[in-house]
Amino acid sequence: MISIKNLKAGIEDNLILKGINLEVKAGEVHAIMGPNGSGKSTLACVIAGKEDYQVQEGTIDFEGEDLLELSPEERAHIGVFLSFQYPVEIPGISVSNFIKTSINERRKAKELDPIPAPELLKMMREKMELLNIKKGYLSRNMNEGFSGGEKKRNEIFQMAMLEPKLAILDETDSGLDIDTLRIVANGVNKIKTKDNAIIVITHYQRLLDYIVPDFVHVLHNGRIIKSGSKELAHELEEKGYDWITKEADKKWA
Amino acid sequence: MSAKQKQTEEELLNEVTSSEYKYGFTTDIESDTIPKGLSEEVVRIISAKKNEPEWMLDYRLKAYKAWLEMEEPEWANIKYTKPNYQEIIYYSAPKQKPVLDSLDDLDPEMKKMFDKLGISIDEQNKLANVAVDIVMDSVSVATSFKETLAEKGIIFCPISDAIQEHPELVKKYLGTVVPARDNFFSALNSAVFSDGSFCYIPKGVKCPMELSTYFRINEAGTGQFERTLLIADEGSQVSYLEGCTAPMRDENQLHAAVVELIAMDDADIKYSTVQNWYPGNAEGVGGVFNFVTKRGICYKNAKISWTQVETGSAITWKYPSCILKGDNSIGEFFSVAVTNNFQQADTGTKMIHLGKNTKSTIIAKGISAGNSNGNYRGLVRITKGATNSRNFSQCDSLLMGDKCGSHTFPYIEVKNNSSKVEHEATTSKIGEDQIFYCNQRGIGTEEAIALIVNGYCKDVLSQLPMEFAVEAKKLLEISLEGSVG
Amino acid sequence: MGLIENIKSFSIIENLSAEKNGLFQSFLANGFPTIKQEDWKYTSLKKIVANDFSVEGNGVTVSEEDIKKYSLGLQHKIVFCGGNLISKPSIDGVSISAFSEFESQNKDAISVLNSSLAKKGFTIKIAKNTVVENPIEILFFTSTKQDNFVQYRNNIDVGENSQIKFVERIQNLSDSKCFVNHFTQINIRKNAKVEYNKIQDNNENAILIDNMNLYQQQDSSVIVNTLIFGGAFTRNNLNFEQNGSNCDSNMNGISILDNNQFADNHTFMDHKQPHCRSNEMYKGIYLGDSKGVFNGKIMVRPDAQKIDAFQSNNNLLLSENATIDSKPQLEIYADDVKCSHGCTIGQLDDDALFYMRSRGIREKEAKAVLTYAFASEAVNNFTIAEVKKLAQKRIAEKLHVDLDFNL
Repeated sequence: MISIKNLKAGIEDNLILKGINLEVKAGEVHAIMGPNGSGKSTLACVIAGKEDYQVQEGTIDFEGEDLLELSPEERAHIGVFLSFQYPVEIPGISVSNFIKTSINERRKAKELDPIPAPELLKMMREKMELLNIKKGYLSRNMNEGFSGGEKKRNEIFQMAMLEPKLAILDETDSGLDIDTLRIVANGVNKIKTKDNAIIVITHYQRLLDYIVPDFVHVLHNGRIIKSGSKELAHELEEKGYDWITKEADKKWA
Repeated sequence: MSAKQKQTEEELLNEVTSSEYKYGFTTDIESDTIPKGLSEEVVRIISAKKNEPEWMLDYRLKAYKAWLEMEEPEWANIKYTKPNYQEIIYYSAPKQKPVLDSLDDLDPEMKKMFDKLGISIDEQNKLANVAVDIVMDSVSVATSFKETLAEKGIIFCPISDAIQEHPELVKKYLGTVVPARDNFFSALNSAVFSDGSFCYIPKGVKCPMELSTYFRINEAGTGQFERTLLIADEGSQVSYLEGCTAPMRDENQLHAAVVELIAMDDADIKYSTVQNWYPGNAEGVGGVFNFVTKRGICYKNAKISWTQVETGSAITWKYPSCILKGDNSIGEFFSVAVTNNFQQADTGTKMIHLGKNTKSTIIAKGISAGNSNGNYRGLVRITKGATNSRNFSQCDSLLMGDKCGSHTFPYIEVKNNSSKVEHEATTSKIGEDQIFYCNQRGIGTEEAIALIVNGYCKDVLSQLPMEFAVEAKKLLEISLEGSVG
Repeated sequence: MGLIENIKSFSIIENLSAEKNGLFQSFLANGFPTIKQEDWKYTSLKKIVANDFSVEGNGVTVSEEDIKKYSLGLQHKIVFCGGNLISKPSIDGVSISAFSEFESQNKDAISVLNSSLAKKGFTIKIAKNTVVENPIEILFFTSTKQDNFVQYRNNIDVGENSQIKFVERIQNLSDSKCFVNHFTQINIRKNAKVEYNKIQDNNENAILIDNMNLYQQQDSSVIVNTLIFGGAFTRNNLNFEQNGSNCDSNMNGISILDNNQFADNHTFMDHKQPHCRSNEMYKGIYLGDSKGVFNGKIMVRPDAQKIDAFQSNNNLLLSENATIDSKPQLEIYADDVKCSHGCTIGQLDDDALFYMRSRGIREKEAKAVLTYAFASEAVNNFTIAEVKKLAQKRIAEKLHVDLDFNL
């Protein structure tokens, strides 16, 4: 589904990603772990097309399309979804209005008519149930005055509504209590099919108890320094990152 | 900012500045026009054409004399060449007469014009529940639903008719809220106003439909000086709408209106304006000079709510205000002011708290793009006797592009120690992170801006009656199509 | 005779140079400002200038006790008496001398009058890379038998990378009226840090118009704290100009006025260069028949992008006859900025008051604590312990309570 080759990117002269290689196939769940400042969020932003970051080398192929040539919204239209680490507040715009606009913009790009209101409402109701979201939430302004947990739940709700092919969950677990974490993870698992893929970016393996990855990658200093199965996550939980980062530092020194 | 982003920003800004004024057509209607220039003679001619009683002529002449001694104000933060008042035509009326109650008898040219403007004054309006008075150039040309309203005792007619048919009401209230001498433009208006709307809601009556006046400047070289007088008697309720357009012309046309609202005890007036006078072209040539004095007075427990969406005019100078005279009265001001290209707006409100427990709310949203300048200017005055009064003001400005300006000039005067005043103002540009967030969810940059601006203006737009809200939203989109912060 | 006549006679005796006479004539053309001028809309000088002030009275003496009484007891002291420099500290890298001529850009009547007539004041030069740890106190004493109008004119130049703090106080020692036209210009060079504290706690015969201009170069940082407790009439014009990028400008003000006191804080924050910040916080507490005015303008010039400018003006009206007029203004010509102002006028929170009283705190004390809490946001920004202490002491005194707010 997505194939990242030798990706080097950063802000201005500061190179953050120093040659990332990653291959994700439909139906897979990949976890990217790593200490703070290793480049995890940068990778998520580059895939989504945040223009603050400049790509200096490498390619990202998404189902045969050169992702780096596309605008952020075009990437969204073909099925890339980023659950933001810090979801943005948009005052005055209700959640339902925002989601309706998102869906219709994507339909417009595919030359489809806007979604009929009853269909949209039905879909919203279903997905809200999935995530245990209360009524009244739809008319609140986008992320305005939301608690950390509400913001993250809102991200997953949008993911459920937009049905992306590739979802990148950037630190979706941070700031969540265990109950909310479980609800969010269950939601993600229900959205998961054999046709879509998920990249979970996380600092801790806690979330991976609920969203079980097929592959785990360790990102450090802009490079994937180790890949393995879900056991790797447990190993990291036990031993911390030092044992592999030191080795890697030696190698790249 | 990346090179790519910069490029799209420029393209988008270009697009904004090139979006055209869609109401800029002229209509060929024969009109009865007097020679240009202003003199005592002209004031007498206008009065005579209207067949006015002596007291009305006296009122005009006094105002004219006051105007001669006054100077055009310069305190607003706007730059323009002062009009030559001897080059303006002060009276122009379509030859079509008299005022009609039904559209069937209307001049076909005029009918065509209304269709282009998207105003329907025919019976369909019954569904929309709006009664319309249309003022073209200097006179009122059509008023609908007069009879339906009359059943409830509501008077809704051109002010020139009111002077003939209800002289006692006009005489009693005209100039009581905005005295002729109030300012340069109100004095001018008082001397030469030729028409406008008059409305009286009797005691305890809730007006069954929205009342609306549509203003159109058509004739070249004319000024428009309409006068609106609205009286809501004790315990009555009314919602009033006002819309304005003008043809595209290279010259600057002057519009100097006066609106007076009187809300008696327990009355409730909602006054909404969507102002879309021709703003001039992308180089700043032409456009309407809009110098308007709007003020209302609230007696006990009364409420006046001003809502305005200002997207047009080359110059806007306008401060819809409330005098909160009665105890427990309420004043509100909700405003969206958009300036683009070379437009300049200096607009805001005055809330004068005289009575006890009076409350006022001010929500002003400014959006500036292109080379334009937007100003909020407002006064909140809590007088010594206004015990327990409250004001809350929120003035936000959004800037798009680095050639425009946005300014905030609030005046807050408090002489009562049991009152509370809160004022907040912010200036910023549209957040790039908000746009990116929308982009990521598949919403293109243009749509994202429309969405964000609409959200930003929501508190004001939600105050408008339904059909106006739709129009206002569309206007906002046209005015700002594609601009990026 | 009114003040203007006395000034005229004085100017003739002084035999002004052609240049200064030119300035003086331009002052005379319009005279003292009136409430018709926007900048003086809420502040009338009419009664003041009708007084028969003599101009530039003779020097007087000041006793050690007076100095001790009005000083904060800081190590470094500059003392003026009747405008004459009578003592100064010796500090490495800091040169302190009496008045010397300098030009100013100000075109307003009061400043023009000052530049045409002033001959007293100080000149301070801080060499580059000089860090002065201990703040310097500047004390101006005036004392004349008759009502008097004086002009002081001061110039400070802070060299690159230097750091210094000042505490200034003007004190009238006599029972006659003293009207001071005070003008200070400070140049702050690259990467310099300056803090200036104005203690305006003069007696009830004091009238002050204080003009301060600060010109900042890149990477510099300035704090001006204005504390108004005393004086009959105070007008502060505080003008910041940022002439380089990455400048910080901070203003903190507290005023607590009673009786017939009047105070007007007029600030102008001029952002001329990108990537700068300003932060302004004025707290006003009004008792008795006092009257407060605040006028704060933030200007962001074209191309001065990435500006963060914040201004707040909060006021408490604690008596029936106290009044406040506030005019916060934003004038913004660049788009990538974050600017805001907030202004509130209100009273103490009744619920909080009740809560405290139900815990046994007497009403007067409870009110004082809440009032201090209101002011504390600004007071906590004072970096010099003695200044902070003075603020706490004077707030307690003005509220007639014996409380130590230093909680």
